Amino acid sequence: MKLVRQLGIGALALGLGAPFAGSFFRTQPRALDLDSIARAIDEGSDHVSARQLAQWIRDHRPGLRVIDVRSPAEFRDDAIPTAENVPIDQLAKAHFAPGQTIVLYSQEGAHAGQAWVILRSLGVTQAVFVPGGLADWREEVLYPLLPANASATERAQVEALSHYFGGAPRIGPEQGGDVASAAPIVHGTRRRGC
Amino acid sequence: MNDLLMAGGIGAAFGCALECAGLGDPPKLAGQFYLRDFTVLKVMLSAMLTAMLGAFWGGQLGMFDSAAFYLPDTYLLPQLLGGMVFGLGFVLSGLCPGTSCVALASGRIEGAATMLGLFVGVLLVGLAFPAIEPFYRSTPFGSLTLQRLTGLPDGVVVALVTVVAVSVLAWIAKREARP
Amino acid sequence: MRPRLSYAEPHLTGVCLGLVLLACFALTGQGLGASGAFASVASGVVGTVSPQAAAHSAYFRSYLQDGSPWTAWIVVEIIGVLIGAAASAALTGRTRLTFVRAARPSAGKLFAGVAGGTLMGIGAALARGCTSGLALSGGAVLSVGAWIFMAALFLAGFLAAPLMRRLWP
Repeated sequence: MKLVRQLGIGALALGLGAPFAGSFFRTQPRALDLDSIARAIDEGSDHVSARQLAQWIRDHRPGLRVIDVRSPAEFRDDAIPTAENVPIDQLAKAHFAPGQTIVLYSQEGAHAGQAWVILRSLGVTQAVFVPGGLADWREEVLYPLLPANASATERAQVEALSHYFGGAPRIGPEQGGDVASAAPIVHGTRRRGC
Repeated sequence: MNDLLMAGGIGAAFGCALECAGLGDPPKLAGQFYLRDFTVLKVMLSAMLTAMLGAFWGGQLGMFDSAAFYLPDTYLLPQLLGGMVFGLGFVLSGLCPGTSCVALASGRIEGAATMLGLFVGVLLVGLAFPAIEPFYRSTPFGSLTLQRLTGLPDGVVVALVTVVAVSVLAWIAKREARP
Repeated sequence: MRPRLSYAEPHLTGVCLGLVLLACFALTGQGLGASGAFASVASGVVGTVSPQAAAHSAYFRSYLQDGSPWTAWIVVEIIGVLIGAAASAALTGRTRLTFVRAARPSAGKLFAGVAGGTLMGIGAALARGCTSGLALSGGAVLSVGAWIFMAALFLAGFLAAPLMRRLWP
């Protein structure tokens, strides 16, 4: 019984000490750091191109989370592979761990940029967004326009990335019309535990 | 492969702890609901307190990143109803999913019966899923935590939970000390 | 009849269990679980027997989409539980092939076990977790859903217990 009492006292001591230790369970909302936000925008460290994102997805960059901030209906219709759907009104409720790289995208990019500011104001500093959104994804990754005089290496790189995601590059400026085949839709859901 | 080895190791430690506490014994588990045997509450509360305090202080001291720990999503109505159905089944069988495996491993036949039932249960839900999916996805609150719900700082919530849990354990100890 | 070697002190075992849970969180980022293994195996069975039925249900699909359901993390963990519990029971001399509630298995009481398991399977599937995966692991990280589940579980248990007194003499 003595041991049990000691365990209880130990637990109480640790528990009652907790309020004085600050917070580590999740990033707490803190005062908006406007300077750092402005600096990130100025430096361009707030965004990432669609092609860079594609390379990250292909290389299975550790801790990468691609977040689609559009509505579930739009998400079902077409989405970037491995993305999870967190509509913008649900964003404040979502849980982001410090070690993760969060990439936000929307249809054209405006909503993703606004979502980036929301996350920043919640203290999530490891987020970036895709400025051109899904439109850029189609034009830069799935069906990129290759100039006819592109070098062989450049061409191979672009082609490899495009094929990886099931697209095909367009060659030359006139052949822009064959964007008919639908992009593969992969819904990323997180299922863990029990 | 490494991942799966770790899963097996953690599972073995989990099973061992449950068995040592006697949680493979249906009358012991059911006894909780008749206030005859408080092992279930004692083990659960002690384990939760330990893990919570460990996560808080470990994160505080930088031993690991407790913010990355998986946080189950909250779905109010499905979890309320699910909990009640689960509670009924718990009294009926005297086991829960984890302990049914422990019961079987220590030779108790009802462990197998309960495991069979569990299998049938999830199978039924899976097969009827298109019909119950709207309910399954109703009232979502995302990864809601007590601190976000109450607006209190993490440390305060940890302290409150600790005080409540230790009080319950102390009350049980006092009750059992009575002749 | 009492077990040959009495069980360990519950609080101390609880602390050990808590440390196992903490180690699990620190090493893998997720908590312990149990019912998910049954769901994974059930999905595997349905996926093998009738792929159409599995594709029709988003519940089965969610277990089939990332890798084989037979070697999912949680299934291996539960196999570990079986091994760990068997070893612990054997080493302490607590293994007895018995039907605890009666001298020999009676159909009614066996049925109570199966029915209880079925209800728990349904409950755990609806709640997205069981006592280990949701109540214990989620409770430790202060998830609201975990505490709702736990409260509902004990409420229903205490309310239903008097009606089932015959099962637990």
